[in-house]
Amino acid sequence: MKQGARVLLLVIVMAGSISADPYIDGFLQALYGANVSKANPTDNDQTVSETRFQLRFEEIGSRAEMFTRIDFVGDNADSTEFDIEIREAFLRARLGSFDFKIGRQILTWGTGDLIFINDLFAKDYRSFFVGRDDQYLKAPQTAIRAEWYAGPADLTVVWTPSFEPNRLPNGRTLSYFDPLSGTFVGDRPLPTKEPGNSFQESELAVRLARRVGPFAVAGYFYTGFYKNPVGLDPTDPTSPYVYPRLRVYGASLRGTALGGIVWVEGGYYESRDDRTGDNPFIQNSTAAALVGYERQLFENLTVNLQWQGEQILDYETYSLQQQQGGQFARDELAHLVTSRVTRLLYDELIMLSGFVFWSPSDEDIYARASIAYDYSDELTVAVGANLFHGEQPVTQFARFALNDNFWLKLTYGF
Amino acid sequence: MTIRMLLLPVLFLVVFASVRAELDADELMKQSHLALYYAGDDGRTDVTMTIVNKRGKERLREFTMLRLDNEEGGDQKYYTYFRKPSDVSRLTFMVHKSAEANDKRWIYVPSVDLVRPISADDKASSFVNSHFTYEDVSGRHWSEDNHAIVGDSTVDGVPVVVVESTPVEDLSSFTTRRTYIDTSTYLPLREHYYDGDGTLIRVFTAETIETVSDIPTITVRKIEDVQKGGHTIVAFTGIEYNLGIGDDIFTERYLKAPPREYIGR
Repeated sequence: MKQGARVLLLVIVMAGSISADPYIDGFLQALYGANVSKANPTDNDQTVSETRFQLRFEEIGSRAEMFTRIDFVGDNADSTEFDIEIREAFLRARLGSFDFKIGRQILTWGTGDLIFINDLFAKDYRSFFVGRDDQYLKAPQTAIRAEWYAGPADLTVVWTPSFEPNRLPNGRTLSYFDPLSGTFVGDRPLPTKEPGNSFQESELAVRLARRVGPFAVAGYFYTGFYKNPVGLDPTDPTSPYVYPRLRVYGASLRGTALGGIVWVEGGYYESRDDRTGDNPFIQNSTAAALVGYERQLFENLTVNLQWQGEQILDYETYSLQQQQGGQFARDELAHLVTSRVTRLLYDELIMLSGFVFWSPSDEDIYARASIAYDYSDELTVAVGANLFHGEQPVTQFARFALNDNFWLKLTYGF
Repeated sequence: MTIRMLLLPVLFLVVFASVRAELDADELMKQSHLALYYAGDDGRTDVTMTIVNKRGKERLREFTMLRLDNEEGGDQKYYTYFRKPSDVSRLTFMVHKSAEANDKRWIYVPSVDLVRPISADDKASSFVNSHFTYEDVSGRHWSEDNHAIVGDSTVDGVPVVVVESTPVEDLSSFTTRRTYIDTSTYLPLREHYYDGDGTLIRVFTAETIETVSDIPTITVRKIEDVQKGGHTIVAFTGIEYNLGIGDDIFTERYLKAPPREYIGR
């Protein structure tokens, strides 16, 4: 985030918290993670070594309310500098059938469990891969969200003036595979070039949602950019990785059925810088769909299963380009299967959790497991692991294959 | 007149009386259910829940609950806004309770702006790690059990009717339940739950009863796990009835942005 905007937000926060008697809570957390792969090129065996202090301020007025969530964090594994991250700082107001949420905020929609088709809000995979709390998978965006609840369907419009990319392993504490150099990199970030700040380069996300019988049905639209740097600009050798223009049209359905929860979602990704698929440096358009089912098998054991298919359009051109470049070509239809298992034990004070992503077509796998124990209302102890494996280093999870790690986390809430 | 002829009308009377008693038991349980779970047309309350495990370790939950009755004795909607502990603060939870179909439940996690439905086929599962089940919170419909009046008694000097209930469909959570119903308010002052061996497994106690807006209300209730040990005490404060809470409050819009007019901070 730009320094000026950060200071401004901080001033707003301080002004808000001084003006009346805000409600304050938060937590103090220590998180340590170790890399277990000897081959990992990062210069540190620690994936994370941080102390985090989160403060939440809340002020509720008669017409509007303000909420702020600030993290003060020092991660010795990543940097010697102390950092302040404003995760949320927004004003919320209800005006008749309109709801507004303005400022720094976390945004989520869609139906997938940890897989996203129509949710093009920023993700933080660096946090996700080192054992930070689930809330950190979502990176904040500075945006205006407007919701309208009087029509035949509920309308949500989110405008993000300045593009917010996903946070991916950047070669500091987590390594990644760089297809240009053909090596795993652990000493420098991927050289990327972000879109600018003009109005044409802002992000717009729209959702129409309504209830149809037992189902929540939604339609989605997004215009902006790929959230990962999936394009190459061959004319710029210093920062060749770019975020190509993207439009997404999609729909979803979710509801109770078959003794559990069922969800279906689909989306068409229009790669606007390569509509015909001719440009070998820009991702082709794709069509993606997912289906999921979750149910409580018995008390305190919940299991879900998802399948996602992603079809590369103009596949012949794509596969020819990949062959000519000596690159790995994905299957025309790529499959991803995921499963989450959650088990609660000991009066529900211990939570065992496992999540597996497995792509039989990309031949890669990513597994997460954790055990958390609520020692008291305030104190939680958790341990976990992240494991990656893949046959081709360019695929989604194999790119991070040298980052196998385990972690320990202590949280004190107040 | 033979003994047999004498017995016949007596038998008839007994049968008739027991039918009448059963009708009364059903009606009584219905009245009790309505008094406990359908007080007023809607309501709000602040809840402090103290969960004590068998080792005496305490946990605290604080939340605010809204309720709307769509139909007396039928469909209801519940909205819960959590305050404590810290890791669930501002989390909201909504239930659309249906008399006929399975309940529908949704949760909203503000730290990730995530609304998700949760599967709700197990009414006997624990509510927020307490000794209260979902069914204890929103009520087990009287028609799900067969009821019989088994006698009169007193609880702390208050005259009660004792009703024995057995689930129509077999349950894992209990086999029989005895409810001690205050004959003047219809509120259950005690509930004793037994397993198949007749062993007492759970006890519900109405600890404090107050009259709020002319409605007798159990403001402190306790559930004790007799077998495993441990109990949960729930204290209600800030109770208000008939606020005119609209049906739209119980939708995703308000799940994401709480209705402060009823929830407060």
